[in-house]
Amino acid sequence: MKHHFCNIKNQVKLNLTEMKKLLAIGIFTVISIYGYSQKQVIDSLKEVIGNHEGKLNALDDRVLVNEGDLAKLNKIKVSGYIQAQWESYGADLEKTNGYSNTFYIRRARIKFTYEAADGVKFVLQPDFSTGNLALKDAYTVVNLPKLKNLTLWVGQMNRPNYDVEYSSSSRELLERARVTTTIYPGEREIGAKLEYNGIKIPVLLQVMMMNGNFTGTQAKDVDSRKDVMARFVYSVKLPAAGVGIDFGANHYFGSNLAKTNKYVKNSDGTLDSLNNAWRYLDKHWTGGEIRIYADVLGGMSIKGEYVAGINSVASTVASTATMAQKKASPNLYNNFAGCYITLVKNIGAKNQAVVRYDYYDPNTKLSGDAAGNAIYYKTWAFAWQYYLNDNIRLTAQYTMPKNETNASNPSDIKDNLFTIRVQAKF
Amino acid sequence: MKHIKIFSIMLILAVMASATAFSQSKITVKGSDTMVILAQRWAELYMKNNPQTTIQVTGGGSGVGITALINGTTDICNASRPMKQTEIEKLKARYNTLGVEIPCAKDGVTIFLNEANKVTELTLKQISDIYTAKIRNWKELGGVDAEIRLYGRENSSGTYTYLHDEVVKADYASTVQSLPGTAAVVNAVKKDVNGIGYGGAAYAVGVKYAKVKKDESSTGYVPSAETIANNQYPITRYLYMYLRNRPTGETKKYIDWILGVEGQRVVTEIGYFPVK
Repeated sequence: MKHHFCNIKNQVKLNLTEMKKLLAIGIFTVISIYGYSQKQVIDSLKEVIGNHEGKLNALDDRVLVNEGDLAKLNKIKVSGYIQAQWESYGADLEKTNGYSNTFYIRRARIKFTYEAADGVKFVLQPDFSTGNLALKDAYTVVNLPKLKNLTLWVGQMNRPNYDVEYSSSSRELLERARVTTTIYPGEREIGAKLEYNGIKIPVLLQVMMMNGNFTGTQAKDVDSRKDVMARFVYSVKLPAAGVGIDFGANHYFGSNLAKTNKYVKNSDGTLDSLNNAWRYLDKHWTGGEIRIYADVLGGMSIKGEYVAGINSVASTVASTATMAQKKASPNLYNNFAGCYITLVKNIGAKNQAVVRYDYYDPNTKLSGDAAGNAIYYKTWAFAWQYYLNDNIRLTAQYTMPKNETNASNPSDIKDNLFTIRVQAKF
Repeated sequence: MKHIKIFSIMLILAVMASATAFSQSKITVKGSDTMVILAQRWAELYMKNNPQTTIQVTGGGSGVGITALINGTTDICNASRPMKQTEIEKLKARYNTLGVEIPCAKDGVTIFLNEANKVTELTLKQISDIYTAKIRNWKELGGVDAEIRLYGRENSSGTYTYLHDEVVKADYASTVQSLPGTAAVVNAVKKDVNGIGYGGAAYAVGVKYAKVKKDESSTGYVPSAETIANNQYPITRYLYMYLRNRPTGETKKYIDWILGVEGQRVVTEIGYFPVK
């Protein structure tokens, strides 16, 4: 019995040993399989990570390239505006034009600005209005090193004058004052300008040297002398009163070449002759400007400018003309004066009412019949603006020019003008 | 009689409609990312006490806020830099006002360094040299031999413009990684031992401030209530609110509250510094 019991005990022991062995083999196998599969999983994960790492690196490179391209694109700014309008004319204008009203694209401009580096800018602005493809602006602006607020402008640009420089897309009235469009034809000039725009001292100083005869077509100067224009503006702020005042002065000093015609008709109508031909005729004037901005029940501004001086016109008679012909078409000196005053009142955020009075006398020395066609104009303009949104502005304007009457112009010319304009700006 | 009745009903409806319209006023605030946490906190607290007023706050950067003010798409613009003359000219052209500038808090433009960085102090010139890549290695500043990694803001940011105009005074290096918001700059510097960034003082969590000194011979300061108040910290600036016109109605009440005790207490809580 005891032996039998021992046998059973030994058998159990043997079985236990076997079982332990089997268990050990089993665990080893499981661990091996698990380890193998784990290794496989890790290897496969490594492979996936490796693949993704490669993809991410490639993506990173592409992002860097794209960022570089985007940075270049960010330096280019494109803006512009289209002004489409309907005009209705007074009776005399209707006779002259042959129609009483018309649709009209007044301006269609795209402005490209490329900021090459900090303080270096290139500007190009063509106008595409119907039948009038023209280059308006083409200039470079460079911030002079170490002179943070001083910039040098070179190329074709606006003359330094408030009414000229104030963009047509922002201006409250549809056209500039008569005096501005007469003494600065085409607004632009080719030349170089230095501009100081003070930050701590609120001063704007502009000095421009230019060809002086530009009307939109001449690629080069027509004489050797250059014209110079200087402008100074000082700004005063009275924050507590919500008032800001800009005031300043400008002076134009230039000349026109008389070429082969030595006869000059003075402003007072007297005929003079230069010592000889190929002499320069003076062209100079001085202006004063003021703008008052006041926060009175919404924004309001009063803008005014007065300018007076001598403008000259070189005779266009052919060099081969006789002396009598030259005498009959002499060079001209005109003492002129002009001004404008504009009142702008914002009504809410979207509406604006505008009134302007402007005056221009092309020859202040002569009046009445003696003035001939050099008559003065006094013009009232009334406008209402509605800003539909950031991009669209609707304007209705009524312009009433009133001219001096004399023998040549016995009554007020019926040249009133009603305009409705839609401006799209981007 | 019938017409009188209809007219009376219409009049009552119109009065009720206008009363409803006026009882719920909405103020939109847009601009500086530096100020967005401050503006949101102001708005939350104000709306809690003035439930009839809704204040909508969004960031985007000072430049974005100023453009929105000019375009008429926001009532208040938050800006961490003063408006530029060109921007004021646009406001004058469109609204015939110079705008209203309200300094509502003070801030020190903070230079963020990773906590492991050995460098502790920088002069204004060194900051300029770092951000124009004239100094490229921490070794040149007494740190480890490692390339400096530059983090900054996008060009619509007022802080970007302020640091550029007042400290860097030249083109930023092309190696500056532009990030959308000060929080992103702080996060990048926190993760990058060799990183450097800048931004408003209220965001500096998990990074260290570099002491800033005017020049080699000056004492370095970190932005604090004391160093900001007495202008010891060299890159101290105002944070502004801009409006097109002088505020009236609910907008005026809100601004008065911001400039008052409660509003200025929020400034301190957020991590900026009161104007007074």
